[in-house]
Amino acid sequence: MKKHILSVLYMFFITLFFASLVSAVKLLNERKIELNQTLKLQRTILQVLQIPTGAQITQEDLSRIFKDRIKEIDVENKIMYVGYEEDGKTIQGYALPVGGPGFWGPIYGMVGISPDATRVLGIAFIKHSETPGLGGRITESWFTDQFKDLPLHPIEGDQNIFYLKPEGTGKTANELDAITGATNTSSAVETFLNQELDNFLRELWGQIEGTK
Amino acid sequence: MPNPATKKEIFFTGLWKDNPVLRQVLGICSTLAVTNLMVNTLVMDAGLIFTVCMSSLTVSLLRKVTPVRIRMMVQTLIIASYVIIVDIMIKAYLPDISEALGPYVALIITNCIIMGRCEAFARHNPPAASFIDGLGMSLGYSLVLIAIAFIREPLGFGTLLGLRIMPGGFVHWTVMIMAPGAFFTLGIMVWILKYFRPQTGEEKG
Repeated sequence: MKKHILSVLYMFFITLFFASLVSAVKLLNERKIELNQTLKLQRTILQVLQIPTGAQITQEDLSRIFKDRIKEIDVENKIMYVGYEEDGKTIQGYALPVGGPGFWGPIYGMVGISPDATRVLGIAFIKHSETPGLGGRITESWFTDQFKDLPLHPIEGDQNIFYLKPEGTGKTANELDAITGATNTSSAVETFLNQELDNFLRELWGQIEGTK
Repeated sequence: MPNPATKKEIFFTGLWKDNPVLRQVLGICSTLAVTNLMVNTLVMDAGLIFTVCMSSLTVSLLRKVTPVRIRMMVQTLIIASYVIIVDIMIKAYLPDISEALGPYVALIITNCIIMGRCEAFARHNPPAASFIDGLGMSLGYSLVLIAIAFIREPLGFGTLLGLRIMPGGFVHWTVMIMAPGAFFTLGIMVWILKYFRPQTGEEKG
């Protein structure tokens, strides 16, 4: 009996020790991780709105540009970002946070939309759990760059806003290259992104136009 | 396992003679998963080297006080703690890599090499020897992963560490990006190794 109690006590204290160790490491790095995430979000928003930041920008400069050029708006309880041109008045575009189920877990991204909502300015994926090297390639520039200047229109019948086709077989401006070897991720992205864009055009765009 | 003579022997046993991937066929899941890109491979290796060495060291330090019946719980706790620390560090200092590797860093916990070494070696041997055993084993694992990535990334993507190395007209072997490519590569490696250096001594079932 005494042996059992010793084992329980031992386990208790060793768990306490390691849990404290992990917590300490977490606490020490929490602010840095949060800062990384904020910077990443700011960088992504600027990037999809095609506001140049330069590759070697410091954290302060990035946050300053973000403060000067981006305004957060709330459209029907959905946070969006408005990007202004350098004069601070002319609207350069809208950044729309998007998200949906991927193959392994949710995928979150950001789409930049032109001021008249007729085309995509840029797109980026922020968070996902797709397979590294396969579905995970949605974050690579060859994939996201294809969405630049994609024409936007509400979905009519079965005509999607865009399609992902096997690499190199796309014929029209809205047939983009899917990721070879990651069919499930590609079709997941195709599905939720079409939905999100359609929803934006139908539900949110009217609100934004109304307040202008 | 009785204590082999010198630290040098322990080190090379792990690195080559009893190589965890080629000989013991452990840690295959991550071997197949991350080796289609060299960058991911190197980060995975670094994470594993740290975790194996530190876990072996800690388990060895506690070997005399840990009750035998709950040793597995203790080992899992130790391993999980180190892996979470690695995960936090990568998130804080290498955010891009952390995204590329996604859940694989956290899955180091389930790499059988770590617990295998704690169970088979560290709990019977002194700390320094255990650390060196961990180092040899994890470096042995790393070498094999790097070798596989060295084949898969150029054939699958035409690049190495993201730099284009294959000629322009090269047709990418898509199968190399996917899991079967890793199976083929690893299988051929084990085959060649067995052919040139048949296992001596008793085969373990």
